[in-house]
Amino acid sequence: MSVSNLDDLRSIVIRSIDESSEGLITAAKSVYEIPETGFNERKTSSFVQKRLEELNLSVETGIAITGLKAVIKGNNSGPTIAVIAELDALRVPSHPGSDSNTGAAHACGHHIQIGALLGVATALVTPAVKHALSGNVVLILTPAEEFIEIEDRLARRNNDEIEFLSGKQEMIRLGAFDGIDMAMMIHTSNNDGKGYFSVGGTTNAHVTHQVRYTGKSAHAGGAPYKGINALQAAMLANAAINTQRETFIENDVARVHGIISNGGTSVNAVPDEVLYEGRVRAGSIDALRLLEKKMIRCYKAGALAMGASVEIQSVAGYHPLTQNASMEKVFVENAKYIFGQHSVISEPSDRNHGGSTDMGDLSKIMPVIHPYSKAASGIGHGEDYIIQDYNRAVVASAKVMATTVLALLHGDAIKAKETIRKFQPYFTPSQYVKSQRDRFTTTTYRPG
Amino acid sequence: MTDNNAIKTIFANAIDGRSDEIKRISLDILNHPESGYREYRTSRLVADWFRTNGFHVQTDVAKTGVISTLETGRPGPHVVVMGELDALLVPKHLYADRETGAAHACGHHAQIGSMLTVAAGLLNESVNKNLAGKISFMATPAEEYIELEYRQTLVDNGEIEFFGGKQEFIKLGHFNDVDIAMLTHTGSELRGTLGIGGSNNGMVGKTIRYTGRAAHAGGSPHLGINSLNAAHLALAAIHAQRETFRDSDTVRVHPIITKGGSAVNSVPSDVRLETYVRASNVPAILRTSQKVDRAFRSGALATGSSVEIITTPGYLPAKYDSSLTELYSHNAASLIGDDNIIRLNHGTGCTDMGDVSQIVPAIQPSANATTGSGHGTDYRVDNYELAITKAGKAMGMTLIDLLSADGEKARDIAGSFDAPMTIDDYLHRMRSFRSRDTYEE
Repeated sequence: MSVSNLDDLRSIVIRSIDESSEGLITAAKSVYEIPETGFNERKTSSFVQKRLEELNLSVETGIAITGLKAVIKGNNSGPTIAVIAELDALRVPSHPGSDSNTGAAHACGHHIQIGALLGVATALVTPAVKHALSGNVVLILTPAEEFIEIEDRLARRNNDEIEFLSGKQEMIRLGAFDGIDMAMMIHTSNNDGKGYFSVGGTTNAHVTHQVRYTGKSAHAGGAPYKGINALQAAMLANAAINTQRETFIENDVARVHGIISNGGTSVNAVPDEVLYEGRVRAGSIDALRLLEKKMIRCYKAGALAMGASVEIQSVAGYHPLTQNASMEKVFVENAKYIFGQHSVISEPSDRNHGGSTDMGDLSKIMPVIHPYSKAASGIGHGEDYIIQDYNRAVVASAKVMATTVLALLHGDAIKAKETIRKFQPYFTPSQYVKSQRDRFTTTTYRPG
Repeated sequence: MTDNNAIKTIFANAIDGRSDEIKRISLDILNHPESGYREYRTSRLVADWFRTNGFHVQTDVAKTGVISTLETGRPGPHVVVMGELDALLVPKHLYADRETGAAHACGHHAQIGSMLTVAAGLLNESVNKNLAGKISFMATPAEEYIELEYRQTLVDNGEIEFFGGKQEFIKLGHFNDVDIAMLTHTGSELRGTLGIGGSNNGMVGKTIRYTGRAAHAGGSPHLGINSLNAAHLALAAIHAQRETFRDSDTVRVHPIITKGGSAVNSVPSDVRLETYVRASNVPAILRTSQKVDRAFRSGALATGSSVEIITTPGYLPAKYDSSLTELYSHNAASLIGDDNIIRLNHGTGCTDMGDVSQIVPAIQPSANATTGSGHGTDYRVDNYELAITKAGKAMGMTLIDLLSADGEKARDIAGSFDAPMTIDDYLHRMRSFRSRDTYEE
């Protein structure tokens, strides 16, 4: 039996997801219970692996440590679309869902991405749906979207466990996206009462600076004049950075923010080693480069003032997100088809959300979309960021993504092929890998 | 040969007849304050007094200084009694000059009085015939280290080399044959006392100029380079050094911003500061000066400005000779009683008497004859008898001890003085403090 009418196929997809909705929500909630930070998502990864295997999918595991990949082959040949979900949690120890040992918590709602991806998988493995696809769907679970725990990841980098510090970056490098023509995922955002979903907009590029000040320790009470205070150097650098803010151009959506992850060892010793982790973001790589120059000047100034030395390790971060208009259009059509005219809000493509995602990196190589499901309350990355509406976050998201895939690949995959034809990649994967490698630099400054 | 006590009595009696006249001169100076290297009127007053009293007078020494000499006609040591001519700039001071803002908020007018008092007493034949050697009265310009830009122009014009008047006197050779020097400053310690001993910080001076890039502060701040931010960061960086200052070094760093921008809607591109770097010893001054320079450079580095740092030699730490102090103390106690002699602590201010103290045995006792706070709007001498007459008597009686008996005592003190440096060393060192550096990344 073959169904070729799109509306009929969409009904099958929607019904299939509705029928499994309870299980999908439970799956998302189960993931919420086992929050794990990037490249540590072992429990999460094996949980998802098992669920995909229950759908009779063959799952490739251990990609970029914890990443997974499973292919749903359509009946006919055609383009390949990736549906992505992110495995990792943040670290927000005060979050109600945090792991009491690690402090990891799903304060960015990635767990619902997994529920939604399982929903897409459940619908697309339906024989009638698979039969109607001209092309393949690759389910990809990516580790480490949150660009955190930099020191740990740099240690992994030194051990050759990873080269780049995020999951999608690593998976691109490892070729896991080779042969894939386009990609989509869905993220949660706050429920502002205006529709179920939003599409469009962009995110910032970023770079991370591991700034290590070395001074000289001395008894802080007995002989402070013998010391060189590395903490003062870092704090002066921070003050210097703040004076640069007036030179930031609003259009660049510059964001500069840091943490002191080692601010001294004991209060009665002059701190001789201080680690400042700086994050610099901007709407374009060019703007980022200029900002980065200013920041490095400021880091050096702190060292110069105190007579300390400083090593600045630049860690390649993300690229700005470019969302594909054709894919976006298909997503919007399907959202409206299922949930009505007012269910989706389109943001202008230049609306910069300020944050950053490694979906941006992928968007330089292939067409992507990164829509939002407005299902959360609280402040993203905050202790109160909670998924309020799992039905919307998991079930509705799965329906729109699955029908979007269907719309792109059904029949002769005309829409997918058109999307591919119109797309101008910024990088080939190998160009991307080279450019990221070049962004890792170390500057050492020892004032005379 | 008369005994010293008898000579001192004659000396003191000679003074008592002239104390009103001398006080009037001090008050005249108080009412006509002039800042350093501008003390033309004050200088004339002093020179006229000495001339009228038959001294050999040399004027225009280091621009406004006056040297008056009394030769005893008998070979012997050379002792100097000093008084400072200059006023501060404290426009709100009770006795400030309305036009210039100059004011005697440091009591130098009383120093001139105590110096003249010594001279008046020594004029007495019965006194000076018992003395050997030579006595010079030096009225020195510019003790206060202020108006750096003005003084820099004097340096640039070749009128002076150093900002302090006594420094110029040393450079001009007026200390080449000096054996001992003394000066009485006013002070605000325990009232009615004379303070002895003590010491003072030394210093270097700095003028700093940041050059950034002006731009519309509202329209295009991203095109500007903000020199005020550079200065602000440098000041924060200086403060961050403070924990490395040793207590025993009594370091003082206290900058001011003399130009902080031109128009509030323009990114400041020309910002200037002045600072002192003071400490109790030369190595600490140099160490701290390096840290301060580093901090000023860091402000430039952070913002992308350039910075020019001009360091000028300041004053050397003062260390007063202990034998001379004891001799003075004995004489002072005979005038006002043991209970009214106090020992001074280390003072964290600076004086060019410090420079003098590095090359000859010197003392700078303090006549605690004032109210208010030094350099403040309310600093006033209110006990002229102590500040001028008794201070002058104490110095003069000490001088009698020094130069009587063929100047044996003065020779002893000068002979056992372990000079930290020769005059040549001094000049070399002072010149080595001078630097002018420009830094940008």
